[in-house]
Amino acid sequence: MTRPMNPDDTTRQALIALIPRLRRFARVLTGTIADADDVVQASLEKAMLNLDQWQPGTRLDSWLFRIARNTWVDDRRRAHNSKGHDDIGEMIDLAGDDGVAVVEASNEARMVRAAVDRLPAEQRDVVALVMLEEFSYREAADALDLPIGTVMSRLSRAKAALAKMLTAEGSVQ
Amino acid sequence: MTSSGTSAGSQPFTDAQLAAFLDGTLDDEALLDAIEAAINADPALAERIEALAAGEDHTAQAVRDAFAPVLSAPVPDHLTQIVAATAPDTAEVVDLAAARTARKLPMPANDAGTPGSSWRWPQFGAMAASLALGVMIGGPLLTGGANGGAGALVLAAVEGPSTPTAVAAMLDTAPSGQAVDLASLGTGEVVLTFRNADGALCRQFMVEAGSNTSDALACAGKDGGWQVEAFGRRAAQSSEMKLAGGDAAVSVVAAVDEMIASDVLIGADEAAQLKQK
Repeated sequence: MTRPMNPDDTTRQALIALIPRLRRFARVLTGTIADADDVVQASLEKAMLNLDQWQPGTRLDSWLFRIARNTWVDDRRRAHNSKGHDDIGEMIDLAGDDGVAVVEASNEARMVRAAVDRLPAEQRDVVALVMLEEFSYREAADALDLPIGTVMSRLSRAKAALAKMLTAEGSVQ
Repeated sequence: MTSSGTSAGSQPFTDAQLAAFLDGTLDDEALLDAIEAAINADPALAERIEALAAGEDHTAQAVRDAFAPVLSAPVPDHLTQIVAATAPDTAEVVDLAAARTARKLPMPANDAGTPGSSWRWPQFGAMAASLALGVMIGGPLLTGGANGGAGALVLAAVEGPSTPTAVAAMLDTAPSGQAVDLASLGTGEVVLTFRNADGALCRQFMVEAGSNTSDALACAGKDGGWQVEAFGRRAAQSSEMKLAGGDAAVSVVAAVDEMIASDVLIGADEAAQLKQK
C-alpha cells in the first residue's frame, strides 16, 4: 500500500494540510460552510488537475487560494445566486436538543461572523487574506490580481464597515 | 477615481491621514480614493503605509477569533479524499452548478452495488481523519435571515454524545424509507444503508422540520454510537414532489459515493445487519 514518495505526494500532503485554511477562506467568501465546502471541493479538484502548473518554490497556499477565489467568482457569475447567508446551518453554532440555542461559546464571535458576511464580496476576499491569513498587502495583491492600493482601500472600507456594524450591535471593544 | 493632483513623488498625505486610511476611520470618500490611486502609482507610498500598519489590530484579531472554529473543525472525509485518492490525470473539473443539480443518488434498486459508474471505493481510508462530530438539531438560532425556520441540522464539533437520542434510535432500528417521528426535531427518514470499507454500518438519513431539510451520513462507531461523516442542508424545495434521497445535499451524496463498499442493504437483509451493527 505504501508507495515511494514522489514530488506529487509531498505536494498532496501539503494540500491536505491546507484544507482547513482553505475552508475558512471559502467560508468567508461564501457565507455558509456548505457553500464553502462546495467551493473547496471544486478547488481541490482543479488543483489536482493542474498540479503541474504550481511552481515549486512559490507559495502553495497563495496558489490554492487564488484557485478557490476564481472558482467562487465563476460560480457566482454562472449561478447568479447571491444567496442569503444561512448562518443557522453553521456547524460551529451549537444548539440544544430542544431546539433552543444553549451554548454559543462566544456570542461576539457569531456577531463578528455575521458582520463579515455582510461585507461586499470584493471586500471579503481581502479580509480573508489580510486579516485571517495575515498575508501582507503585497501578497494579497498578488494572490487577488489587484493593485496594492486597492487592497489597502478595500481593507480600509471593510474595517470601517465592520466597526460600524459591530458598535451598532453593541459588541466588540 | 479622479486623481486629485497626486503625482508620484509628491505625497500630499499626512501620517494621520494614512493611519486613518488604514484603520478605516477615514470618512472622506474622495480622500480615500485619492490615497488608493496614489498608492497604486507609487511603491514608496505603499511601503510607508505598510510600515504604519505594523502593530496590533483589534478588528483583525476579532475576525480571527470569530472564524477560528472553522479552522479547527474536522475536515469532511470527501474533501481529503480528493487530494489523497485522485490521480492528477484522471481528475475532472467539477462544474459546481451542474454538480448541484446533476448529482443524483443511485436508488437502492437492482443495480445497486454494481461497481462502476459513480461508485468509488476509498483507497486511503486510513488517511482520512476520523470524525467525532455531534449532531444537534437546532431551531431558529439567530440572524434575521429570510430562512430562519426551525429544524436546521446543526453539527457541532464537540466531544460527547454523538447523536441526539431520537436520531440515534432511528439509526439503530428504523428501516430505510420509513418516516420516523423525531418529536421536537421534526421528521426523520433513513435513506440508504450500507457498509464502508472498514465494515462499519453506515446510514444516510434526512431530517425534515418545517420547510428545512438536512441530510447527513453517519457510521456506527466502535462505542456503539453513531458518528457523523458528512452533513449538508438541502436547497429549498423546487417542487412539491420530494424524492427521499434524490435531492440530497451534494456533500452527503459525495460522502456516500466515497465510502460505500457493499451492496445497498434493504429489507430483511438490512434489518438483520442492523441487529448485529
